[in-house]
Amino acid sequence: MSLAKWTVGLTAGMSMLAIAAQADAGEVRVTVAEYSAKTAPYFADVKKEFEAANPGITVKFEVVPWDVLLQKLTTDITAGTNADLSIIGTRWLIDFVQQDVAEPLDGYIKPDFKDRFIDTFLSPSIMEGKTYGLPIAASARAMYYNKELFEKAGIAKPPATWTELQEDARKIKALGSGTFGFGLQGKEIETDVYYYYAMWSQGTEILNKDGTSGLGTPGALEAAKLYKSMIDEGLTEPGVTSNNREDVQNLFKQGKVGMMITAPFLSNQIKDEAPNLKYGVAAIPAGPTGARGTYGVTDSIIMFKNSKNKDEAWKLLDFLFTTEQRAKFTQGEGFLPVNKEEAKMDYYVNNADLAAFTALLPDARFAPVIPGWEEVAQITSDAMQKIYLGGDPEAGLKDAAAKANAVLKK
Amino acid sequence: MQNRFLPYLLTLPSLFLAAIVIFWPVWDLIQISTHDVSRFGQLRDFNDFANFATLTADPDFMAALWRTGQWTVMVVGGALLLSVPVAMILNTDFYGRGIARVIIMLPWAVSLTMTAVVWRWALSGESGMLNSALIGLGLIDHNIQWLASAETAFPMQVLIGILVTVPFTTTIFLGGLSSIPDDLYEAAALEGATPLQQFREITFPLLKPFINIAIVLNTIYVFNSFPIIWVMTQGGPANSTDILVTHLYKLAFRIGKLGEASAVSLVMFAILLAFTMIYVRLAMREQRA
Repeated sequence: MSLAKWTVGLTAGMSMLAIAAQADAGEVRVTVAEYSAKTAPYFADVKKEFEAANPGITVKFEVVPWDVLLQKLTTDITAGTNADLSIIGTRWLIDFVQQDVAEPLDGYIKPDFKDRFIDTFLSPSIMEGKTYGLPIAASARAMYYNKELFEKAGIAKPPATWTELQEDARKIKALGSGTFGFGLQGKEIETDVYYYYAMWSQGTEILNKDGTSGLGTPGALEAAKLYKSMIDEGLTEPGVTSNNREDVQNLFKQGKVGMMITAPFLSNQIKDEAPNLKYGVAAIPAGPTGARGTYGVTDSIIMFKNSKNKDEAWKLLDFLFTTEQRAKFTQGEGFLPVNKEEAKMDYYVNNADLAAFTALLPDARFAPVIPGWEEVAQITSDAMQKIYLGGDPEAGLKDAAAKANAVLKK
Repeated sequence: MQNRFLPYLLTLPSLFLAAIVIFWPVWDLIQISTHDVSRFGQLRDFNDFANFATLTADPDFMAALWRTGQWTVMVVGGALLLSVPVAMILNTDFYGRGIARVIIMLPWAVSLTMTAVVWRWALSGESGMLNSALIGLGLIDHNIQWLASAETAFPMQVLIGILVTVPFTTTIFLGGLSSIPDDLYEAAALEGATPLQQFREITFPLLKPFINIAIVLNTIYVFNSFPIIWVMTQGGPANSTDILVTHLYKLAFRIGKLGEASAVSLVMFAILLAFTMIYVRLAMREQRA
């Protein structure tokens, strides 16, 4: 048997496998990220309700942990076995659009559908005038503070500026007994973002107007020096570079940390795990000029260009973005409402925690829509870790800015 | 005539299987690493080994390469040094030997990722078990932030690496020890050989082929080992505990540089292949001599 015949035989065998893995007509496969223990049960309910209302269409949800979602999508797309729809981080969307794997949804979107969304959250999914994704999850960051520690330390209200935050942290540190003023995240996902809070308050943006990295500006240096001085003074928890977001959140739930910046889902976790903790949610502190910034994040659900069941997939999207479905998902996961009608519900209007988050939305920055963003974020996180470990802020930022600019130039 | 071809014929099926399982992916990797490649693995132009050139110019890669060497030598060496006495003790007859063997083998039965997760908790600075145990024993007076910097994190990772490598190594050595006939020791004892002399003249030489196997297999395994370092530090802080395989993962699935990641993968493959060939050659020559 010649090599060519072998190759043909093997290819035939592989493609048969591939066909077997592909969807039957009328089946919509969706890759969804697992945000919490509530995600899988929610989508199981969606499957039941949607299939009952739409005979002939079956839905298959693949629930994937966040950490491996991008890896799964990369390998699936490379092998051509991707689902019809998938949740992705909106910051990845530009890669999907540039590689021509995402389907523009404008052909399906009717004006009244578009009108369901709050613009702030829909706009990150629009690129070159086309809508490539719908915001399935939206979140922002605000500052949580421990009311009991504040009271003990004699602090009347949450700090409005970083200078006030430092003073308050000193007072909380003086309480002793293993309490730390400010929870500073220094490991894993969003380590860079935690630094941007201080950087934005200096009026510095991630990208300068000319498209170069903001890390080389004086404002970026001020922000890095601020965090470093707080570490040196012992105002943060010890071992900053060993604590990821969950670790700092756990310290907050244990009542050991006075203040920390994180997402609204911490409120849900506190309700479940530390119901007696007295806490409040406030704005992220402002800098000397009054500038401040929070991090806005959306995750988008996209349709793949190679989907064979686009009409059925759209029906499912339409179903997912009804007010009722949105409310169920958003409230379970502790996200912010993306539907206008949903935002008017009592649950959100009377919720002080969420009000603090929505009040910050005008100051929200989304991850810049540039190719290579993940690499720039990684460079920033690495630079911050070096500075938190005692490195020189000026040299570290200069080096990081050079590296980031090299990526941005490409 | 027939006898000369029979061995080749008999190895043909496994050769064919190896070709599918090994040569195909390697060929794929060569393709990806020598081309400009998109975020999702579509090949573009051949790019004159630019991916390899980028790697050698990348200080993070060179640091990871050097650290991988340290990691492999320390874990494999440590496991060997620890496993020989453990195996010798377990080979002697004593009350409760069965239980002792089970305890030594237990880490083997737990998934590596789970072991790493448990250690990550145990090494947590503020609520970790290790810190509270050490404070309870009066050995330290304040919490050590084990995973905050490479100076403490990497040695701990090496220790855990040794811990999980010991069971497999001990098993190999136990097999080796049980193949040494008892009369050798009896005769040596009659001639007045001390236990140390018995070890040097009988146990060690007869155990050597087993040590060689343990070195080769453990090196391959430890060199490629991902979970311990990834779970505990993800190669951080600031890439200071990265080994090649974690560096590769970040390149491929965080940053999306599949070409460079494939190049790293091929470099790893080449290193292991060269090591195994040289070592097996040396070990076999020694045995023949």
